[in-house]
Amino acid sequence: MAALRAMAVRLGLVADVDGGPPIVPPSGWSAWLTTLTACAMAFLALLTIAAGLAAGGLAEDWQADLAEAATLRLPASTDAATLERVIDQLSATPGIASARALDPGEQAALLEPWLGRGARLADLPLPVLVDLRIEGSGPDVPALEANLGLVTPGAVYDDHAGVRAPLGRAAEEVRRIALAGTVLVVLAAAGMVALAARASLAANAELVRIVRLIGGEDAFITRAFVGRIVRRTALGAIAGAALGAGALAALPVGGLSTALAPVLLPGPGGLAALAAVVALGFVAVGWGAARATLRVTLREMQ
Amino acid sequence: MISLEKISFGYDGRTTLKELDLEVPAGSFHFLTGPSGAGKTTLLKLLHLEHRPDTGRIGLFGEDIQPADPRQRTRLRRRIGVVFQDFRLIEHMSVSDNIALPLRLQGKPMATHGDDVIELVQWVGLTERADALPRTLSAGEKQRAAIARAVITSPELIIADEPTGNIDAEMGMRILRLLVELNRLGKTVMVATHDLGLIRAAKSLVSARTLRLSEGRLMQAASDL
Repeated sequence: MAALRAMAVRLGLVADVDGGPPIVPPSGWSAWLTTLTACAMAFLALLTIAAGLAAGGLAEDWQADLAEAATLRLPASTDAATLERVIDQLSATPGIASARALDPGEQAALLEPWLGRGARLADLPLPVLVDLRIEGSGPDVPALEANLGLVTPGAVYDDHAGVRAPLGRAAEEVRRIALAGTVLVVLAAAGMVALAARASLAANAELVRIVRLIGGEDAFITRAFVGRIVRRTALGAIAGAALGAGALAALPVGGLSTALAPVLLPGPGGLAALAAVVALGFVAVGWGAARATLRVTLREMQ
Repeated sequence: MISLEKISFGYDGRTTLKELDLEVPAGSFHFLTGPSGAGKTTLLKLLHLEHRPDTGRIGLFGEDIQPADPRQRTRLRRRIGVVFQDFRLIEHMSVSDNIALPLRLQGKPMATHGDDVIELVQWVGLTERADALPRTLSAGEKQRAAIARAVITSPELIIADEPTGNIDAEMGMRILRLLVELNRLGKTVMVATHDLGLIRAAKSLVSARTLRLSEGRLMQAASDL
């Protein structure tokens, strides 16, 4: 405990460690601007990270779903006996866990977005679709296609690669954008803290001069100012991260598919962990930015 | 204790101090006098390292202060107690907290030095005003608080700039007696003042050397001051 306290003192995170009054005077309402800005930044950072995680997670989820499935398209003229033989052949193929032909109702549901409800599908030469569940690394596709070609010329095996690849790229892009957004928010927070530190020193230039003249080291002055700024930043960051987590937790997920909800939003534990990471990150960034700015500014004031 | 060799210093191209030489032995009491603008405050600022001389060498406690880095300057400043002309008390701190501040700056916790502060507050007659903020103090009370802050760490050298300015004669004598008492405790004292009455009054209390600054040069003051 004593070692932790000593470290906190050295880092300037603990105020007035010697039991005396604060060296830095109270600065009135303007001090709350730092807290308010940190709150807004932490809120935005949490939402950006959560959005990036959710979108990336969703794309990955879809990608994984697609990777576990494939579709076999058979010509519209395929009769029931041929279809049965194909199903039997597929079921016996290593790498395929199951094969099931889509019934007319399922096909209608798939086409409904394009053709509308109640379209007379029986009049259309629709291919017969077989839904395949893939296991392991999947079937030997060239061999499978060759075998199927003997039974039903014109059969096409679709492993969804054409859809999976763009989804993968989209997931990567979304992550990159979220990361860039987070970095920008963090840089803005660091800039805000640096400005606050400089303003605080400028407002207390005479105090700094007196403290130096009566034997104060710059390290002492730095600790006093860092402590003040980091505590304000921490207060804002905790509030902002908590608000962000609260806002996400309060999203009306009831309207979403129950399959999507867990992907879009982490559970309460996950949100709490995310909020803690954001708040701690802001404290670390605030501490680093404040300390670096104060050291440089104090050197300039020599 | 203090050694000045050919010290010159100026502001904005105007030379305030010209090639000053001075030796101040440890335990001595010096008055520095001269007309306003003669450079008394400037000389004291050089001695407590607020300014650096343009030319010349300053020795303090046997160390050449010219090459001192910020850390060394802080170490040297801790051996000097300064009573500033404008007091320079910290406005948001009480009298006792102002007096205790140099202890805090040297890492001496209040838990172990609280009694020293109480004693010193009593010694300068500010017990009743210990919790007051500087803005509520009279000039004399501020002066005494500034003296207490200057001596709380028991520095070897005490520098006081016009310690009796803006206060009445009775309070001036009281402050002079405080400084003399500190000198008797072995401290080296240097007081800048243009109050010749104070210097005359001090003669009956302490063996003091009086230096006069005039037109940027330092000379021994006439003995009939």
